[in-house]
Amino acid sequence: MAKEMSSLERVAVGITQRGKSVPDMVPVCPVLCGATHRFSGISYGEWSRGIDVDSFVKGHVDSLNMIGHDGFAMLVDLSVEAGEFGQEVIFPEMDTAHPNYDNPFIKTPDDYAKIKKIDWRKSGRMKFVVDCIKALSAEIGKTHAMMGFVYGSLGTLSMMRGPEKFFMDLVECPEKVIPALQIMDEVLNDYAIAQAEAGAHGVVYDNLYASESILSKPLWEKFEGKGMKMVCDSIQKAGSLVVHHNCGNGIYFDKIIEWGHPDLVSHAYVADDVDSWEEHKKKWGLATATMGWIPPGPVAMLGTPEEIEEECKAELEIYMKDGGYVLATGCEYGPNAPLRNAVRIVEARNKYGVYA
Amino acid sequence: MAKSEKELIAALQDAVIHYKVEEARKLANEAVASGADAYKMTMEGLAGGMEVVSEKFDSHEYFVPETLLCAKALYAALDILKPHIKAKAGDKKGQVVLGVMQGDVHDLGKNLIKAIFESAGWIVHDLGRDVPLKKFVDEQLRTDSDIVMLSAMMTTSMVGMKKLIPMIKEKNPNVKIMIGGSPVSEKTVDEYGADSTADNAPNALREAMAMLDALRKGLAKA
Repeated sequence: MAKEMSSLERVAVGITQRGKSVPDMVPVCPVLCGATHRFSGISYGEWSRGIDVDSFVKGHVDSLNMIGHDGFAMLVDLSVEAGEFGQEVIFPEMDTAHPNYDNPFIKTPDDYAKIKKIDWRKSGRMKFVVDCIKALSAEIGKTHAMMGFVYGSLGTLSMMRGPEKFFMDLVECPEKVIPALQIMDEVLNDYAIAQAEAGAHGVVYDNLYASESILSKPLWEKFEGKGMKMVCDSIQKAGSLVVHHNCGNGIYFDKIIEWGHPDLVSHAYVADDVDSWEEHKKKWGLATATMGWIPPGPVAMLGTPEEIEEECKAELEIYMKDGGYVLATGCEYGPNAPLRNAVRIVEARNKYGVYA
Repeated sequence: MAKSEKELIAALQDAVIHYKVEEARKLANEAVASGADAYKMTMEGLAGGMEVVSEKFDSHEYFVPETLLCAKALYAALDILKPHIKAKAGDKKGQVVLGVMQGDVHDLGKNLIKAIFESAGWIVHDLGRDVPLKKFVDEQLRTDSDIVMLSAMMTTSMVGMKKLIPMIKEKNPNVKIMIGGSPVSEKTVDEYGADSTADNAPNALREAMAMLDALRKGLAKA
């Protein structure tokens, strides 16, 4: 067995050396984001508002110590960017924050013109994320992997219009949507660079709509391809790993690699051009590393200890060979899911994910 | 020259399939003005068109935006035809109560389900999103619906199903419950005591039709 590595080394080797070298063990990151509020000493609502850097940092540091995972992403919730662009956001005390869909910022197609360039430095929650990355970098930046997080412009804008109307606008009035996306892309680009410079080892770009679950391949490419390329190029240039997250079904791996060259993709389902995880590894396993794909609901939240162990074992058997794999849930670990189950995922990695 | 009923049906189908909203509206007005059977226009024209849309969705020729636009064309025509549909004796449609769980505002999937079900002639009682648990129970009792459909996109809202399903079944053991949304799986169905799940709107309709059939056969035997 290779010498024991720090979590950060494990993640770095696991992602970047795929096909060439392997770490001591498969890195494990059960995508603990909102769930860390339970270590922070404040309510989920307070945690989500982004006003208490110290408690946020405590939540992540204590969860790392108690659960034993190797890294995490700085996702607060998906409404961070939309809120800063002007969308009203609701902060329930016990649920995930979300846009007020009864009061969308973009009420008619003409309102796309209301999207203006913003400065994240003068913002609320976007600045909070960067401040937390700085603080966490000082605490655990040399030992654990920390990924920043940017929700892509398509996803962000859809939150400000309401997804249903937004998807129809893409077909009915693209000329009104595109300028708004371009403004957002510039802001998100600046924001991603700031996260990398603040100490994030990687920055996640969430491109949810690049999958068969939502948009056709040409439609996704038309609206998000160039913007995502700009952001991902900047992340790479800033010296961070490019990470994508997409929990849709049938992800367009050919296109996200073409436009966004990810070092790692966090995903719940296989690419659109394969039928199984075995095939996925064979086709895409060298092109990029995979992080996944424990189902957050049925397994991480509702699974018995035996079911969790079996799922992790099965995933490791398929994907750990030759590296390029991070054992994780396919999407965010339920903020309300039993934390003991996250420990079970780490234990399963310790049992079945050691490289000989 | 006025279109025949057959031509109107074909044109309505085409308007839905190719999401021509204005054309669908115009054709519906034309059908009403010509005295065509509004029920036939709806079922064979609009629902017939939506059936093709479902096939295109299944085969990944259409995605969410296209399907939503087809539904928009369908509703444009349906709003005009609906007041002219005469109820037929013995023509009992399935009824469904539909809503997004309390604490959850993701209603895209729910809205697609509504469009597909309404186009197939079902009566849909749409409670919207972020629906308090008791409202599902009350609406099922008020409408005597055959099926209650619960949608959740987050684990935080999904857990409400565990509490809600026994509440519904306690009041009406015969009602069928279908659950859906990204964190939901067959395991959730078993764990929470639901009857079924489906991964997209066309499959939900197929499941619902099978459940309705089973329900009515069961009632006929009783």
